[in-house]
Amino acid sequence: MIKFNRVYKVFERDIQALSDISFEVKRGEFVFITGPSGAGKTTILNLLYREDLPTMGAIFVDSLDITHIGTGRLPAYRRGIGFVFQDFKLLFDRPLFENIALPLVVRGENMEYVKKLAQTMIDRIGLTGKESLNPWHLSGGEKQKAAIARALITSPPILLADEPTGNLDDYSSWEIMEMLTEANRAGTTVIIASHNKEIMSKLGHRIIRLDKGKVVSDAMG
Amino acid sequence: MRWAKEIGTNLKRSGFMSLISAGTIAITVFMLGAYYIVQSGVTFLARHIESNVEVTAFLKNNTPQDKTDNIIMETKALAGVAEVRFVTKWDAFQEFIQDPEMKAVMDTFEGNPLPDSIVVRLDTYTREKIERISSFLREKDGVEEVQYGAGEIENLINIVNAVRFIAAAAGIIFIIASMLVVSNIINLTIYARKQDIYIFRMIGADESYIRMPFVAEGVIHGLFGGAAGWAALYGVVTVLIAQIRQETGLDLSVYHIFRPEYFSVRLLLYSVGAGIGLGFTGSLLSQLRMFK
Repeated sequence: MIKFNRVYKVFERDIQALSDISFEVKRGEFVFITGPSGAGKTTILNLLYREDLPTMGAIFVDSLDITHIGTGRLPAYRRGIGFVFQDFKLLFDRPLFENIALPLVVRGENMEYVKKLAQTMIDRIGLTGKESLNPWHLSGGEKQKAAIARALITSPPILLADEPTGNLDDYSSWEIMEMLTEANRAGTTVIIASHNKEIMSKLGHRIIRLDKGKVVSDAMG
Repeated sequence: MRWAKEIGTNLKRSGFMSLISAGTIAITVFMLGAYYIVQSGVTFLARHIESNVEVTAFLKNNTPQDKTDNIIMETKALAGVAEVRFVTKWDAFQEFIQDPEMKAVMDTFEGNPLPDSIVVRLDTYTREKIERISSFLREKDGVEEVQYGAGEIENLINIVNAVRFIAAAAGIIFIIASMLVVSNIINLTIYARKQDIYIFRMIGADESYIRMPFVAEGVIHGLFGGAAGWAALYGVVTVLIAQIRQETGLDLSVYHIFRPEYFSVRLLLYSVGAGIGLGFTGSLLSQLRMFK
């Protein structure tokens, strides 16, 4: 489903972020990408999400070389990917309900359908009753749950998460991992950039370890 | 309109800046409206002056009637002549004494000191035409003197043209300044919503969803600015017309652009259209800069 083929990424001032990265992720897999800060974890996610382009190499998603997608087709490509950030990236000037419904609203979906589905997602993440609250009034764990609900509301085939538990306590972290595991069980391919050794070892999924922009190991955890 | 909410968010966030943007457009529309009125006025004035340019040939006393008739006939045949009329010394005297001051002057003379004259009206004014016709008349036997106000007319036309030029230059400067202000204010809104724009892109919003609210924001600034500019112009001109009528007795409302149906409806449409155009262009300029 996802294939990195000899991918290099060099930033300004010759900073080598990725060097000769090749790996494949099958449909429905759950993969952790780990490594020290600056190893290239976020760069890989940014390339997959097409926030950035590789300096060299090809990246295939469902046999489509995403390095050649034109800007006009990017929104359609991104609609197939859910993205979760460490800092949640919620819209703080609108309530939780609207944040979660946003991906459906921007697609121009029928409002009745949007309301129904958003409420279902809110119920599923256990935030019923907090629909009208602004994200300021939510805890870190609740914000991340909302971000995951937003990412999953369109049932994307791929979910990318960049340090989703980075700002959370242990209890919230496990709740978040449980949500991501559930999404994976439902068929979503999940790729997570993480530092959290405990979570990675307990879940026992595949771990791609990076160091200085290179894959140093790729094995089940 | 799935992006209607985003327009509301933008306007709420820009708040006071939106007022500045709409205010700038209002001032520009006011200036453009004033320019339009001045331009229409001076054009009307220039046409009026040009269509009333006359050459007067004063005849020697006791010029025989057949000689006078010949001059009139030959003058009528000249190119550029619209009308030739003979004014007897008695007609001229009657016209003079209509004015009390001139009557007082005339009373100092014994009898009528004015000569017979031939008055030539041109179809359109050109310096060449007026000089050619004047020279023709001057060379005729029986003509004492030829008068025309070419110098004064040209001075007046030059002034009118200078007014037009200055008003046009000021209008262009205001248009550019206004578009830049709108553009910069929308730049600030875009900058303030940078994170939101990133999130929208991340969840697959297409560019029209992201950009249309900013275009609409410019258009809304233009709509309100245009209407406010018109209201200010309407107020100022209405007060001025009343003041001029009171001070001089001159009723400007006979002139078409001051008639209510023209001034209130058509000028409102023009003003709102100009405002929207300014807001839209300012917004596009901003997007060219911010969404590279």
